[in-house]
This record gives sequence, structure tokens and C-alpha cells, in this order.
Amino acid sequence: MSSPEQELRARAQALLESGQVDLVIGHGQGNQPEKTTPVFITQPGEVEQLVLNPFCHNNLAAWLTRKDIRRRFPRVAIVAKEPDIRAVVVLIQESQLQADTIRLIGVRIDTPGDPDSPCAVLPQATLEELQQHLRDDFQPRDLTPDQLAQVEALEKLPPAERWAFWRRQFDRCIRCHACRQACPMCCCDRCIADMNQPQWLDTSAHPLGNFAWNITRAFHLAGRCINCGECERACPVDIPLMTLNRFLARQVRDHFDGYLAGYDTDDYQPFASYKPDDNESFIL
Amino acid sequence: MTTRLLQTADLPHLLAAAAEAYRLVAPTREDDLIDFRVLHTPDAIAPHTDYINTRLSIKPFFFPPTEPLIAYQRTPDGIEVHDPPADAPATLLFGCRPCDAASLPIMDALYDWDTHDHLWFARRAATTVVAISCTTCDASCFCTAVGGAPNATAGSDLLLTPLDPDRFLVEILTPKGQAVVDLAPDRFASGTGDRDAPCRAALDALPPPLDLDAITTWLTDHFDDPHYATWSHKCLACGICTFACPTCHCFDIVDEGSYRRGQRRRNWDGCQFPHFTLHASGHNPRPDQAARWRQRVEHKFRYYVEKFGLRSCVGCGRCIRSCPVNMDIHAQLAEIAALP
Repeated sequence: MSSPEQELRARAQALLESGQVDLVIGHGQGNQPEKTTPVFITQPGEVEQLVLNPFCHNNLAAWLTRKDIRRRFPRVAIVAKEPDIRAVVVLIQESQLQADTIRLIGVRIDTPGDPDSPCAVLPQATLEELQQHLRDDFQPRDLTPDQLAQVEALEKLPPAERWAFWRRQFDRCIRCHACRQACPMCCCDRCIADMNQPQWLDTSAHPLGNFAWNITRAFHLAGRCINCGECERACPVDIPLMTLNRFLARQVRDHFDGYLAGYDTDDYQPFASYKPDDNESFIL
Repeated sequence: MTTRLLQTADLPHLLAAAAEAYRLVAPTREDDLIDFRVLHTPDAIAPHTDYINTRLSIKPFFFPPTEPLIAYQRTPDGIEVHDPPADAPATLLFGCRPCDAASLPIMDALYDWDTHDHLWFARRAATTVVAISCTTCDASCFCTAVGGAPNATAGSDLLLTPLDPDRFLVEILTPKGQAVVDLAPDRFASGTGDRDAPCRAALDALPPPLDLDAITTWLTDHFDDPHYATWSHKCLACGICTFACPTCHCFDIVDEGSYRRGQRRRNWDGCQFPHFTLHASGHNPRPDQAARWRQRVEHKFRYYVEKFGLRSCVGCGRCIRSCPVNMDIHAQLAEIAALP
């Protein structure tokens, strides 16, 4: 019986050998045992670089919208963890990706970061089958009890204390915008934070600039965030950005017919679709 | 050079005395993140055994992420423009690692180049640096590869080396360092000790010196080398490497405010961002991540050498440690050194 890692390599090799893709993006060994680093494989003989372990953190969907990579490699496969598949679903919904130019090698990592976590290659091969797997199997275990507890604990705080909490967190922000760069959903050619005609947001790392940036980014992810946590993992100063994103994901779920992002390419997107009978009572 | 011995138990007394004379800046813990912060009480300091290095470097206390350069205000009599006072109180920066201290003379060269940057030098003059030698390191540290050492003295005013859990060897390197000793002279005993033995474990684990001249030559001769594209495919252009780096110094100048009042501010910027070199015409001379990553390597290991005779890297390893994709500049330099 082959190990999940061998199975992964065989799947990547088959995609390259059959000419279905020009490039496979996966995870390779990093500079220490508990680190991985993205690897870019163009030859079937290079698949030995691929690893599958609980430290495969990067959401590789973020590279699918990279123009410098897609120009060189029109047809790309990624090793896609369950959150990565959700990201691909949203990108297809938003017409940022053409489904027929990508392939997914679905993998499952039960508890990311835990050295003893089981890992597996998902048997489903098509995007349809993978979405079905997400809905049937992944959705119930997507948001962990700990993650939910964090959001609820903050929700219960009086507004002044919640404000003080975020003020302290955002005070650390140095405006590197790594949260945006690591995020597969942040794929705008020109981010609002980089526009200066007009200057929508102050670029300075002072309280006003930091609040404006972090709150704006959270708004732009409402109904789109797929809970991969890469922004929070990338943040060099440990701002709990996912608490904000999970809070907004719950608001969207509660106010838009239970909508959860990234489970169905045919789903409507709450903030990118219009229906004549939309409730517009709050619009002046 | 003069040495003294300091009991670890006497450190709080020294810091309490220093708090009377200086603003204290030292590593403290907030939400499990150990970083340099202004200390309001000496007890808040994180013991040096709790950290290999801080997440961010000492850079923000000399070159803040954002600072005002000019302020203006419209009055009934016209427009008033003034320079905000340099925020440079007398500061004791305690507990940095020798790599961070070594970044200061490297940055001095840049900030004293065609313009003498009065904000940088006001803070340099007002700050006394007390470094603590490293007894351990991690997989990202590479000071020894670029000419540093876990007990190097460059940039420090005082260097403390923990001889054992109870005593520090104190090396008094400058008059500013002497002034700290003079705050509580009774706490410092005369004597000396082996400055290398405590750092042995770190020295054994750190990588060997790189052939830096060979690297500079390769960089000079291989500007269009395809390696840059291969190395940079994985790069997210997040710029954490530049912000975490103690020797990266690029900034942007922005105007903030309204018709009535506002400020011109200097904010950190970085060569890894696509819009860093974007021209108003739409042309970008560094059009892809390969060109941007090349800039970072070339700037540190070739242009800085050509301009100042220095390399703008101290091997602190933050760019590797904090990188979300585990980009490893040390491994790339080692690869370059082996290339023809």
C-alpha cells in the first residue's frame, strides 16, 4: 500500500506526463522539519520534491491568480487542502479563474500543525466531486470549537472593551500588508490600500490608518473568506485577523439564508448579486 | 577594553536606576509575542533566556514605521509650516542581540550618505545600546555566515555575555556604555571571564562563513540570471522580509490631512511591493517578482558593497523566520557561492 505522500506524487506525475497541466504547485520541505515551502514542478521527474504533512500550511490557490506565473504556465494543478478548494470555488464564482485551466489534487490534513495529524489524498478528482466532498464531509468540521469560542468570547464583551482589544491588536500593525498577499481572495490588480488618487486609506501605521486598513480588508472578505487562516499565519505581529473574519462570516450566514462561502460554484454571492426582491429597507 | 562582572540578581537594580535617567526600551511579552516596547516598569522585561530573537528588530526605535516630517496648518494669517520635534528622548535600549546592534553602523552609512538624516542621528545620539550575547540559535540564524558572531560587539555600547545563570561578563565598549555602569557602579565587580565559552553551543550550530566576495562577483556578472525567477515563484511579495529586516531602510513619503491642517509623513516601504517602482506612466522597471527579489539580494550583497564597502545583512534570520513561504536567503547565498 502506498503512503499518502507517494499517492500525491503519483497523481502529480500523471498530470504532467499526460500533458494535462504545465505546472504543479505543491508543498516541499522547508529549512527545518516543521516548515514547508511552495514548490513549482514542471517535469514528471521532479515530483519527489512534493511532501504531504501537517505543516503544509500555504493556501496554494493564492498562486493561481498570479499573472507572472499564469503567463508562463497556462494550465496549472495545485495540491489543494480543503480550504484551498473552497478558495478555488470562490475564485471561479467571481470569474477570477477559468475552471478548465486548473486541476486540483485534493488533500486532507485533519489537524494542521499537529505533528501526529493524519493526512490523506482525497479520492475525488473533479471539481464537482470535490465540492460534494466539501459539503458532505468538510463543512461540519470547518470551524473548530476553539475558533468559534474565540469569536463568541469577543462578541460578549461590552463595546468599550472590544474597542480596547482591537485598538491594542491594531497598534502592532506595521502595514506590510502580508495578510493581503497571503490571502487567495485578495487578488485585486490594485488594492484600495495602494490607490492614491484619491487616497482612500492612510498608509501610515498610526491608529487611524491601521483601523482603516484592517476593517476595510475584513469588510472586503465578508461572504468571501474561506477560513484558511493564512492572513493570520502570515501576520508578522500576530494580530488575530481570523477572529474578525469569522465574525463577519457568521453575520453573512445569519443574514443571507445561511450562506457559507466556497462550497458551490453555482451559488449566488451575497455581495456580488442582485435580486429584485432583496430587502432594501436599510438603503436610504 | 574594560570588563566588569554583573550578578544576574543585580540586573533589576541596574534597570531601576536606568529608568530614572532614560526611557527604557526592552523585549516584553504581549499575547505571546516578544518584541521591543517602551517599558513602564522594569519588571515587565522578558528574560533573555525566553527569546532567541525578537520578532521585529530594534529598527522601529531609530526609524519608526511612520513619523511626521512636516506639519502645516491654515490660520487667518496664512499657512504655518513647522517641523515636528524629533521624537528622540534619552533611551536605554536593553536586551537586543548582537546582530541587531550590528545593523546600526550599517544603517549609519546610508543615513549619512547624500543627506545627513537628522531624525535617524538624533535617535542614534540619544540611544544607548545594551546587547546580550546569544547562547543558542535557531535554524534561521546565520550571523556567522555574513561576518557576525553571537557575541560580536559592533554597534553596542555595552555587551553582556551570560557566563553562567548567575553572572554576566560586561564589556564596556563606549563612553555611553560607561555612563550606564556609572549609574550603579557598586553593582559591577571588577573581573573578567571567557567571552566565547558561553556562546559555544550557538557557534557550533551556526553555519560557516560564506565567500561573500565570490557572491558579490557572481551578482555583478549575472544580472539576468534565470535563478531569480526560480527562486521567486513562491514569493508572495508580502514584504515582511523588508519590514522585519534591521538593515532594510526604504521609505515612502505621503501627505495626509485636509485643506486646513495636515502632515507630510515618512512611512516604511519595501522593494518587494509591485507599486514600489511603479511609474506614473504605468511603466514598471521591475515588472515581476523575479526582478524585485533580485533587487533585494543585489542591494544587500552588491550595491551596498559598491557604495559603502559594507553588506547590509547581519544574518539575524528574521526574513527567513517570518516568511510565510519559508524563502531562505541564506540557502540562496550558499547556492550562489557554489555557482560558477
